[in-house]
Amino acid sequence: MPGQVLPKAPLDQFGTFEVFVQPKDGKPFQHEGAVHAPNIEMAYVLAKETFTRRFVCSSLYVVDTRMVYVSPMTENTTNAYDTIVDVPQQSGTRVKFEIYHLLKRGKQHIHAGTVEAVTPQEAMLAAKAQLRGDKLLYNVWAIRTSDIRFTTPEEKDLWITLPEKKFRDASDYKGGDKLKEFLERAK
Amino acid sequence: MNELALKEFLYKIADDQLILGHRNSEWTGFGPLLEEDIAFSSMAQDKVGQSQALYEILHTLGEQSPDTVAFMRNANQFHNCILTELPNGEYDFSLIRHFLYDTALAIRFDMLTKSSFKPLAELATKIRGELKYHTLHANTWVKQLGSATPESIERLQNSLEYALPFALGIFEKSPFENDIISAGIFEGEDVLKSKWKTKVEEIITQTKLRLPDVSSMTPIEGGRVGKHSEHLQPLLDEMSEVFKIDPTAEW
Repeated sequence: MPGQVLPKAPLDQFGTFEVFVQPKDGKPFQHEGAVHAPNIEMAYVLAKETFTRRFVCSSLYVVDTRMVYVSPMTENTTNAYDTIVDVPQQSGTRVKFEIYHLLKRGKQHIHAGTVEAVTPQEAMLAAKAQLRGDKLLYNVWAIRTSDIRFTTPEEKDLWITLPEKKFRDASDYKGGDKLKEFLERAK
Repeated sequence: MNELALKEFLYKIADDQLILGHRNSEWTGFGPLLEEDIAFSSMAQDKVGQSQALYEILHTLGEQSPDTVAFMRNANQFHNCILTELPNGEYDFSLIRHFLYDTALAIRFDMLTKSSFKPLAELATKIRGELKYHTLHANTWVKQLGSATPESIERLQNSLEYALPFALGIFEKSPFENDIISAGIFEGEDVLKSKWKTKVEEIITQTKLRLPDVSSMTPIEGGRVGKHSEHLQPLLDEMSEVFKIDPTAEW
């Protein structure tokens, strides 16, 4: 009907997916950023070149941004775990959650461990008991493991030639040295 | 081993990779979304890198340096199939070409891991991860857009029908085909084509696209013997423009 007032479409571009990268076997996964994609499989494909086209990588995974649960953000006086409200134990199926810690403002969230719980809130409490450690935490994330698109064992070789791709690092061209040489010659 | 046959075989794969790598790099800065722009550009770079590795092997067999063979030949000296030199057109065509071509390339290199020519077998083993990503990327996009909206399906369908006769030109046999097979360098274009058809069907059946009957199609050939479309020479001119200003410059 002409003149009718309608809500704006909730999304006028693709939704986002959070990207986590493991630089080397044995090292923890680290949050690297987000990609836009129409679904999780496309997100995995697009995340690979957006976040692991330089240096080294041994594994990558993605999860819908809406599936990441976050604690309140704190400043360097309160531990983020101390902001989590206690809840009575929930009934239901316990599932695995991946827990991420933010140790410094401006840095990335780093994988701290895996806990089992019914809800994200409960997962944070379980992590508080099991993974808290001594350091002051600014923020905690909990992600259901089953919501993640992992790298499969067959995909582990996607990055085998990556360390050789030095041509993607500006430093490899030694531009400064070449300029210096050129200026010397011009004298 | 017939060295001429081996060189011809290496040139055709290397030239395919260089020409399509350059074509795909023309999307840099123009991709449909930032993430895809980066992914497509990275894969273009992989292709050029793989062509360089093949030109290096050719150099050990007495051919000129990789830069010289890449930048100083004329169109009629290139052995790439015509599919790789076609202009990018819209993204639907570039994606379909990527899908049809990289499916064949990944199978070719998988077959080459068993090649009697060791440098090629070693290269094939080394780059398997890159090729795995290229086909994952192509298959995921084709499955996505091949089922998404009436417009995306129609556009991919039209591009598929246009590209297929050119894609069949990938398997154009060289005069040395039998030498290559009998020397154990490669199982041959017929084996590759049959495996390719199976894989293409496997992906297309997961979409709303229809795969035309390729057995009744006439392949568009000529590229393997240096007979190209009018699109190759302008591509070469542009690709080599900077190199030719000072071929001895160190970059």
